[in-house]
Amino acid sequence: MKHVTLLLLILACANLWAQEVDDGNDLLNRPADRTYDRILESGYLKVGVYENFPPYSYAEDGEPKGVDVELGRRIAKELGVEFRVHWITPDENLGDDLRNNVWKGHYLAKQRLADLMMRVPYDKQYAYMQDSTGEYINEQVVMFGPYQQETWQIAYDPNRLDSVETVAVFQYHPIGVEIDTLPDFYLSSGLRGRLREQVHHYRTISEAFNAMRQGDVSAVMGMRAEIDHELSKPANAHFQRAGNGFPGIGKQVWDVGMAIKHTHRQLGYALESIVDGLVRTGELHALFAGLNLDYSVPNYYQKFLEPKALARAGGEEQ
Amino acid sequence: MRSNKFGTRIASSALALAVSFGAQAVTDQDIMNDENTPEDIVTYGMGLKGQRFSTLDTLTRENVEYLQPVWAFSFGSEKMRGQEAQPMVKDGVMYVTASYSRVYAIDVKTGDELWQYDARLPDGIMPCCDVVNRGVALYNDKVIFGTLDAKLVALNKDTGKPMWIKKVEDYQAGYAITAAPMVINGNVITGVSGGEFGIVGKVEAYDANTGELVWTRPTVEGHMGYVYKDGKAIENGISGGEAGKTWPGDMWKNGGAATWLGGTYDADTNSIFFGTGNPAPWNSHLRPGDNLFSSSRIAIDPDDGSIKWHFQTTPHDGWDYDGVNELISFDYSDNGKTVKAAATADRNGFMYVLNRENGDFIRGFPFVDKITWAEGLDPKTGRPIFAEGGRPGDPSVTDNAKGEQVLAQPAFLGGKNWMPMAYSQNTGLFYVPSNEWAMDIWNEPVSYKKGAAFLGAGFTIKPANDDYIGVLRAMDPKTGEEVWRYENTAPLWGGAMATAGDLVFTGTPEGYLKAFDAKTGEELYKFNTGSGVVGTPVTWVMDGEQYVSVLSGWGGAVPLWGGEVAKVVKHFNQGGMVWTFKLPKDRVASK
Repeated sequence: MKHVTLLLLILACANLWAQEVDDGNDLLNRPADRTYDRILESGYLKVGVYENFPPYSYAEDGEPKGVDVELGRRIAKELGVEFRVHWITPDENLGDDLRNNVWKGHYLAKQRLADLMMRVPYDKQYAYMQDSTGEYINEQVVMFGPYQQETWQIAYDPNRLDSVETVAVFQYHPIGVEIDTLPDFYLSSGLRGRLREQVHHYRTISEAFNAMRQGDVSAVMGMRAEIDHELSKPANAHFQRAGNGFPGIGKQVWDVGMAIKHTHRQLGYALESIVDGLVRTGELHALFAGLNLDYSVPNYYQKFLEPKALARAGGEEQ
Repeated sequence: MRSNKFGTRIASSALALAVSFGAQAVTDQDIMNDENTPEDIVTYGMGLKGQRFSTLDTLTRENVEYLQPVWAFSFGSEKMRGQEAQPMVKDGVMYVTASYSRVYAIDVKTGDELWQYDARLPDGIMPCCDVVNRGVALYNDKVIFGTLDAKLVALNKDTGKPMWIKKVEDYQAGYAITAAPMVINGNVITGVSGGEFGIVGKVEAYDANTGELVWTRPTVEGHMGYVYKDGKAIENGISGGEAGKTWPGDMWKNGGAATWLGGTYDADTNSIFFGTGNPAPWNSHLRPGDNLFSSSRIAIDPDDGSIKWHFQTTPHDGWDYDGVNELISFDYSDNGKTVKAAATADRNGFMYVLNRENGDFIRGFPFVDKITWAEGLDPKTGRPIFAEGGRPGDPSVTDNAKGEQVLAQPAFLGGKNWMPMAYSQNTGLFYVPSNEWAMDIWNEPVSYKKGAAFLGAGFTIKPANDDYIGVLRAMDPKTGEEVWRYENTAPLWGGAMATAGDLVFTGTPEGYLKAFDAKTGEELYKFNTGSGVVGTPVTWVMDGEQYVSVLSGWGGAVPLWGGEVAKVVKHFNQGGMVWTFKLPKDRVASK
């Protein structure tokens, strides 16, 4: 039985990668240089999304799903081309992911690049970061088109905790986090390490929720959309969203956008205007709502949109 | 009844074949005795102790200048990157691995390829630790090696066809194998490489004939070890006794301590010695405690995987000073008494001499010019005396601002990285390929990971001196003195070998195979192989002539990092060759 499951898993994985277009140059072992015109000519757009990362991007029965996938499909449709998935195995940080998937290619798969990468934080400070010699670290890519604002969220089990007023309750109650994430670092070092013993580590938020159902932890901290996605599952219906703040976290909220290779700016302008339209008309809000997820308009728009336009982007009926 | 002559012929030739296979098969005896049989090399380390010392004395300081290439062999394809393997030689065949999990059998007289095996790596694999491979193990009719997708593969030595393949760990969870396995009493012993976070190091034994798991020993406190009998797992004690003694919370569950460099073996004490990597997560402020058995050397019972003793070189490692470096057994005389010692040169910049019977600290001393993170070692225990302000800051404490910068020396790539040192039984000295570099570490003001805000550390490696980074050192393990040094412009990244002819061989990223006088350090020979040498040389005797082989092919971890060091190495071309040299018979006379 175990072997059958393993075999199915292997087949599923193989299937996952097999969906991708292989359009690199075999002879020169380099990726295709897919400018705007060539993308239109080829009839498809390769959209880079993280694998196994619900609710943003994941495969179900071999089919790509999630918010970022749906947005990718909308973008491809507006461009008049087919959506093709490009799965991203996350590396240690964003810089690695951009190098492996947007501008250079991973050294084991040099012909494999996405035309466009989703879920790239839109942060001018990050985009213009310089190294010790003054060079711009991210000069090989353009980060643009903020489409969502993300934040942190805790869900808890009301049978074990009356409420979560502050994170201090986790001196006494076990809490689950995804390993090597900001919630992990935040809780493991917060209050001078007094929560540390209560932090339980899991590979994914979904595993952390499994542990909460089994009573191993009283709460889970993750990104809001991840938490909302879990809470929308019937098995997790009795868990609740907490309303606490996160004092001491440097980044409470951040905008999420896209990235392309810096030589493909024409593509960027086209994509930017498509996504801009989707945000302003409230279609992105609808896309999130359709997946039972809250939506926050990116801070980028909050700065200049009129209250009425902002309300529209935020999904309020006109 | 018709006689079946054809059948008889097959039967007898099969018998003859079996006999000839039997004659050439690598036995436990061959492996145990490898350091005394210069006509073959059947262990990684030229002997299980890993001394990398050859008893051959045909090549000497007088005639080494006549060492000349006999053949060169290309690994082919475009996979020209990081050739870190040590070749094996047995009965006229060389067995060697190349990067990207490839194995080659080469006719050692002609350089002709006999067979090649390319492991089929899964789509989308992201190995943590580059694409290198450090070599094979030989046993019976098998050539055994580890792959980037964390499998052990046993190939038939004559055909290169797989005889068994075993998954050691899940590559998707971040595991890989890059080290050469070793065979002790019919068991293949392997460790695992692993990414920064979420993995747990372990040492495992597999039956060399069948590939069945024999025992497993996790290298992080709190995890259960097992012995396998008739397919059943029998508990064999928790590493360190119980969880939570030197780790906070549940962090021991993902504590790191990868065993990525393989091990050595000492028959006197019947111990396998493994080094263990750094603890996870990288931010040491999250995991107060010693974090056993990270950054340690551990002695393991080869029969059941029990831990006999451990010695931790960097408790509470906050600098990525991994402790994987090889522990080499050697004896020395102290006031007429033989001391059963073992030495290791750690990434943290200190060299340690331990009692290999019980792991007791005998002495320790810096083998690099400067160490900033520790003021020294406790003379009794060998525990480092941490320098104030030497530990990188806690990124959680500094909000959204570039935290205080800490200068640490050696850099995280270590006073010595993976490249094995050698011990000469003639001179009693260790020959240590080392590097002089420092790193700045700071907390990144803004960092993201997998679409989320994160706390990251930034670092840059810089040479400690203007004109050189690499230093090949002759270290006296009895006094801690540096007897001689050779300075190299680029960082040294290849292993060393010593011979009874009082020569020391090593390679440089500039492409040279070099030989030095083991007593004085005088450079006696160099030959440019066309690409950087980051492998480990070997020597053996064939038809009365002494041969030397080394891999050529720049790569490994150094070119993956930028900063000031990149300026020194960025113009080096990659490659993928085996070079084989010999001293022709008629040149020996000039001895």
